[in-house]
Amino acid sequence: MIDKYKQAFQEEARELLVELEAALLELDQKRDDAEVVGRAFRALHTIKGSGAMFGFDDIAGFAHNLETAFDRLRNGQLAATADLINLSLAAGDQIRTMLDEAAGRGAADQNRSAAILAELRQLTGAGGPQPDGESIRGHAGCPLPDQPVPTPAGVPPEARDWRIRFRPGPNVLLNGTNPLLLLRELRELGPLRIGLDMAAIPSLGEINPEHCYLAWDLVLTTAAAPEAIRDIFIFVEDDCELTVEPALDRDAETSAPGSVAAGESVPARRGVAGLGTSSNLRVSAEKLDQLVNLVGELVTVEARLSEVAGRREDDDIREISEAVGRLTAALRENSMTIRMLPLKTTFERFRRLVHDLGADLHKQVELTTEGAETELDKTVIDHLNDPLVHLIRNSMDHGIETPEARRAAGKRPTGTIHLSAQHSGANVLIRVGDDGRGLDVEAVRVRAIERGLIDSAARLSESEVFSLILAPGFSTAREVTDVSGRGVGLDVVRRGMEKLRGSIDIASKPGEGLTVTLRLPLTLAIIDGLLVRVGDAHFVVPLANSLECVELTRQDIRDAHGKHIASVRGEIIPYIRLSEYFRMETARPEREQIMVVETEHGHYGFVVDEVLGDHQTVIKNLGRLYRNVQVVSGATILGNGTVALILDPHRLVENAVQSMSQNKRSDGWRARRNKSVDRQELKPTNAFVQKGKQNR
Amino acid sequence: MAKVILTVDDSASVRQMVKFTLSGAGYTVIEAADGNEALEKLTGPVNLVITDLNMPNLDGIGLIRRVRANPALKGVPIIMLTTESQEARKLEGKAAGATGWIVKPFAPQQLLAVVKRVLG
Repeated sequence: MIDKYKQAFQEEARELLVELEAALLELDQKRDDAEVVGRAFRALHTIKGSGAMFGFDDIAGFAHNLETAFDRLRNGQLAATADLINLSLAAGDQIRTMLDEAAGRGAADQNRSAAILAELRQLTGAGGPQPDGESIRGHAGCPLPDQPVPTPAGVPPEARDWRIRFRPGPNVLLNGTNPLLLLRELRELGPLRIGLDMAAIPSLGEINPEHCYLAWDLVLTTAAAPEAIRDIFIFVEDDCELTVEPALDRDAETSAPGSVAAGESVPARRGVAGLGTSSNLRVSAEKLDQLVNLVGELVTVEARLSEVAGRREDDDIREISEAVGRLTAALRENSMTIRMLPLKTTFERFRRLVHDLGADLHKQVELTTEGAETELDKTVIDHLNDPLVHLIRNSMDHGIETPEARRAAGKRPTGTIHLSAQHSGANVLIRVGDDGRGLDVEAVRVRAIERGLIDSAARLSESEVFSLILAPGFSTAREVTDVSGRGVGLDVVRRGMEKLRGSIDIASKPGEGLTVTLRLPLTLAIIDGLLVRVGDAHFVVPLANSLECVELTRQDIRDAHGKHIASVRGEIIPYIRLSEYFRMETARPEREQIMVVETEHGHYGFVVDEVLGDHQTVIKNLGRLYRNVQVVSGATILGNGTVALILDPHRLVENAVQSMSQNKRSDGWRARRNKSVDRQELKPTNAFVQKGKQNR
Repeated sequence: MAKVILTVDDSASVRQMVKFTLSGAGYTVIEAADGNEALEKLTGPVNLVITDLNMPNLDGIGLIRRVRANPALKGVPIIMLTTESQEARKLEGKAAGATGWIVKPFAPQQLLAVVKRVLG
């Protein structure tokens, strides 16, 4: 984690150095421009500040000295001379070298740093900068936990007793101090014996409940120096009585002043310092979005060009069009990968969530992750956070049982939440699974009937029942807890997925847990597709899902005895004829084509009139009106300006399979379906699909 | 639930650093760019305020005074971010009711140590 900040600091510092250099050069022209001095000062200040924060102590210390000089410059105590400006430029270069060293490129010459500082001292005169960077740390009122206050050199730290008397002022509580925390911190230094002095507590009638009347007599056994003990009380020492003295004998205090490196003259380095050494560039997301939009436009125009070129008998134009096509494809791929980010950061963030919620809910939960290196479009990742938070909360609160209940059920007392990500064609599957109590199908059904979401006579499959928990305001929780139960959570997930053109599948076994699978498109912008024609309509099937295209002749159909099955290279492939599915009245051509697609349900074929070829598909959203259409994931504009729908093969197959089995299951199904408005809203089906069914 | 810390600073990078560090330690961190924005954020639950002193509109000292004058915010710890050269301002802040301070620049561990000291 910290490496990320270090990287960020490196980049920021390099930018600041450029800014510093620009300011210095400007200062050279306008020697008493306060604004320019201010800019240089701020650049140094930030380098120093951030440097110290992210562990670049040498850089921070170095910049600190320069900053002090510029502070004096700013206050008019010092004049900007050519020497000072040149030295500052050299110092900026030195900082850059130090940054390079920290990044593993080359080594910074420490003598040179010392020499620059020595010269700086000479230029700024006595009372100027401090000799080294020691002042950078340890001033914050707290020594670093991993840097105990040093004991006198050579003497190994030995635990000894300290007698501490602490009487906070009456107003410490009002100022937000909690004396208890101070005692707790003392105890971290060593064994602490605590005596409470309550003598100052007045009679009940005179007590001001906001005042602190207590005092403590403490004996602390520690190897830490008295400064470390006093340091704990640093925020209150002015408003309290505090004595720290050794309980037994007293040691002489020694201190070793730091030695200062001898100065030597610094040859001022001139010329432009090497820019562009940074291998990473920070670009605003907005610019990337613009880039992708432009590429999208370009792809659309390219489609037109190739369409026009294809119609003309002109080899020159055709050649150019092909070259443009290749370049556009490369450009598109390139700009898409720029936006891809691994899910790792998103996943890591949930460790904290699981940990905290576990503590709040008194449950032991362990988060395991898989496939965190999977990359997704930044926009998708941004929208993924909320749904995942809700799913994890839901699992933690409703899914995973208390340790006692788990033991009673013969499970490990520690529950597990498993977050995983994997690629599946043009999609990414993200799963949130727990090993908790799972969903009670009957309870969900009862609750859904209570809320009027389904008809009490409705016969729904298990997965349909599970999908009911995604309805707004749905909760089977008996009571609302802090964490979840208000029923907003899973509705958020559903809406989030709609926004991302993703889908949700819920699988659960009572007593064994719940797994929610989010299916997301890899990117929201442009995909590779296969353009097909049915009658005079065009569709796009994502190339990532397409396996192969073969011909389907009348003879093949006769061989299958009218069943929608074809034999492709020895494999039996069930197929869906798109013209039937979408109830299009088109003449069936002599030779049709089957596109074999890969879905989560196995291999299926889509029968189309003609496969036209590759198509770089800029995805456009269908309007709100078509929000509930599941089998179409968007639309794209073709070269000739017409619109082609982008099919979602997975959903299409799922819908077809489902409607077939439902038609078998119940004759009254269609009637009920039309009646139950709620259910339709909940589990939307394609308008096309409905038409298709009524036709059959 | 996680404790909520409000970081008030006109420098986005300082806010970010505070946020990175503290959310990494399990605190919930909300941000405000100046004293006025902080007062708005303080209408919600906040367990600790970390404020810079030099800010446009309402500065840190002003913010501390306003918080201490508000009975609803009684006893909320306030940590101010000072620099070495601001000794006078630090005293002013303490007089206004600040709980503690951190001298800038500071390392993440120092921030955490101070937060732990006043917030537990």
